Amino acid sequence: MLGLGVDRLQADINRLLASLFHQGVLDEHFLQLQQLQDETSPNFVYDVINIYFDESEKLLRNLRLLLMDREFSDYKKIGLHLNQLVGSSSSIGARRVRNVCVAFRSASELSNRPGCLRGLEVVEHEYHYLKNMMHELFQLEQQRLLAAGVRYPI
Amino acid sequence: MTVEQNFEALDQFPAGMRVLAVDDDQTCLKILETLLRRCHYHVTTTNQAQKALELLRENKNKFDLVISDVDMPDMDGFKLLELVGLEMDLPVIMLSAHSDPKYVMKGVTHGACDYLLKPVRIEELKNIWQHVVRSRCDKNRGSNNNNVGEKRDGSGNEGGGNSDQNNGRANRKRKDQYNEEEDEERDDNDDSSAQKKQRVVWTVELHKKFVAAVNQLGYEKAMPKKILDLMNVEKLTRENVASHLQKFRLYLKRISGVTNQQAIMANSDLHFLQMTSSLNGLDGFHHRPTTVGSGQFHGGTPGMRPFPSNGILGRLNSPSGIGVRNLSSPPAGMFLQNQNDLGKFHHVSSLPLNHSDGGNILQGLPMPLEFDQLQTNNNNKSIAGSSMAFPTFSTQQNSLIRAPNNLVVLEGHPQASPSGFPGHQINKRVEHWSNAVSSSTLPPPQTSNSIHHQFDVSPLPHSRPDPLEWNNVSSSYSIPFCDSAATDTTNPGAFSRNTDFDSNANAQPGVFYDSLQMRQSGNYGPTTDAAMLSNNPKEGFVVGQQKLQSGGFMVADAGSLDDIVNSTMKQEQSQGELSGGDMGYGGFSSLRTCI
Repeated sequence: MLGLGVDRLQADINRLLASLFHQGVLDEHFLQLQQLQDETSPNFVYDVINIYFDESEKLLRNLRLLLMDREFSDYKKIGLHLNQLVGSSSSIGARRVRNVCVAFRSASELSNRPGCLRGLEVVEHEYHYLKNMMHELFQLEQQRLLAAGVRYPI
Repeated sequence: MTVEQNFEALDQFPAGMRVLAVDDDQTCLKILETLLRRCHYHVTTTNQAQKALELLRENKNKFDLVISDVDMPDMDGFKLLELVGLEMDLPVIMLSAHSDPKYVMKGVTHGACDYLLKPVRIEELKNIWQHVVRSRCDKNRGSNNNNVGEKRDGSGNEGGGNSDQNNGRANRKRKDQYNEEEDEERDDNDDSSAQKKQRVVWTVELHKKFVAAVNQLGYEKAMPKKILDLMNVEKLTRENVASHLQKFRLYLKRISGVTNQQAIMANSDLHFLQMTSSLNGLDGFHHRPTTVGSGQFHGGTPGMRPFPSNGILGRLNSPSGIGVRNLSSPPAGMFLQNQNDLGKFHHVSSLPLNHSDGGNILQGLPMPLEFDQLQTNNNNKSIAGSSMAFPTFSTQQNSLIRAPNNLVVLEGHPQASPSGFPGHQINKRVEHWSNAVSSSTLPPPQTSNSIHHQFDVSPLPHSRPDPLEWNNVSSSYSIPFCDSAATDTTNPGAFSRNTDFDSNANAQPGVFYDSLQMRQSGNYGPTTDAAMLSNNPKEGFVVGQQKLQSGGFMVADAGSLDDIVNSTMKQEQSQGELSGGDMGYGGFSSLRTCI
């Protein structure tokens, strides 16, 4: 029965990934990431995504601090942060996050404060959605590995 | 690094190429590092520009190439670019998440040899070694000029820690066109030493005698000494004849593929001389005319370089200079076939060849559009000279040769051409090498290349000028693309690869999709198709269209190509309206109904 569990889990993973692709949350660069994972770097995807999460959360926090400040005027700094977010999100294949970041960046280039605030909210929302999905994916993956590792007693 | 290690590394080049990657974004840095390792480069990373500079200064020969992000907190990426260029003279590739043309321009003006957009794809990285080779070629030319006395015979660029020697050896590892660079080096030495003697101007009469002598001896058996004897011209040395013979041979090789060699021999005098006239016309003004001349015959990477910043541009005033420079194989007698053109060229060649303002003539590569300007601006002779030559070539080219036609079209984007063209020539190498690298092992089909050329013809809406075009070219040469073209017609993913020539997600989905499919169960297949299509709504739409048109393979005829381009253009406009996967999914369902 446990053997079947592997298949079921694999199917769940596939379905989740397919749904994420379909929604545009992920794109082919995520596949490239998976492709780069091999025996020499078996946890590559997991590691990179975690780095991404750490970095992105720092950036988002900074962005929020900047924008919450009443006397805020440094749109350039926002632009720089966003640039980094755009770069890293697109590199891991987080397409939706990237797109909303680009929109946010445009608002910052126009020095549009309400636009920026809105942009930040959207980005945060998308980011958290992605994070949850990734967590779920990793959990499934982990379960699958465990299930696959179990051997039938002879 | 010892000499032996150096040679070993070069033997496997571009594998083992030493890259320094700089990016303050840890995510991107990690991904970049892994991608580069996957390309079999030797990678060092740092997330600080200062550290990078230290590493570079520590040992100038430690790295072959630098890839650097533009926006870094501790130092502006452009600043780093400048410093590296100045101090270490290494090729630097810029990396940025911002596709703003201003940045790209800034990168170019600061001396970047390429500008990549994040997210970086592995296909783009597979070709970056060309920048190393190119800069080495440039250095070779520079050092050739300075080392008149340097002993370097044609047979061997043996030993020595001299980087030029290594480059000579590395060059020899390349295929055809690069081998010709050795000829060029030899030629340089010949003519460099000949410089000490009086310069020989190969007039039409002299050349006629030369050709007569060659004909008499028989082309195959023509030896410089015998030719010299037959010509019986005073003050002509064996070396002069030898170098002239070499050029003549190369010239014939170039054009022999197009027309009958007899015709060439008959008409060649004027044409050949026009091509070589630039070499000899500048007495003492520029010290290495032959470098350019022989480089022109090769038509490969040397000929396709963006303008060297020295006075060589002066030579490019002559139409022959330009013509040869920009074409891989100038059709024989091209100048002579069209009487009008001949008139034009006579007009142009009446210009003094040793323009002293040559440096500014070809700011951008002469575009066919400039032809209109010329009609109204006859005073601007120099530009007239260069630009007139170009459209003539292009029109002639269209009728004569297919491959250079693509070249010419690529020329429309001045920055695209230098890198695009080598890609064309080195294509086979790239693919062979990609074969080794990528997991699938399918032979690179020849047909896809020509098909790609057609794709290159269409002007695609891009935000960044050069790198994207170049990357499209290069990525379209990559194996995943060829995979699909060659093999799997039932695989919808293949269609998306084939047709997706206008977005960044070019061949990428293909290879990973394939292996992914291989790895996972069949259930995943159809849904992934949706996923693939959903990633890029354009893809889905175009795929549907493709499928309808051709039953699913690459379309090679121009008609449907135009349709595709038009539809993708429309898609571009309407993309904003489409959410992530809807159109694509719809496209997928229409695809299904077709099946």
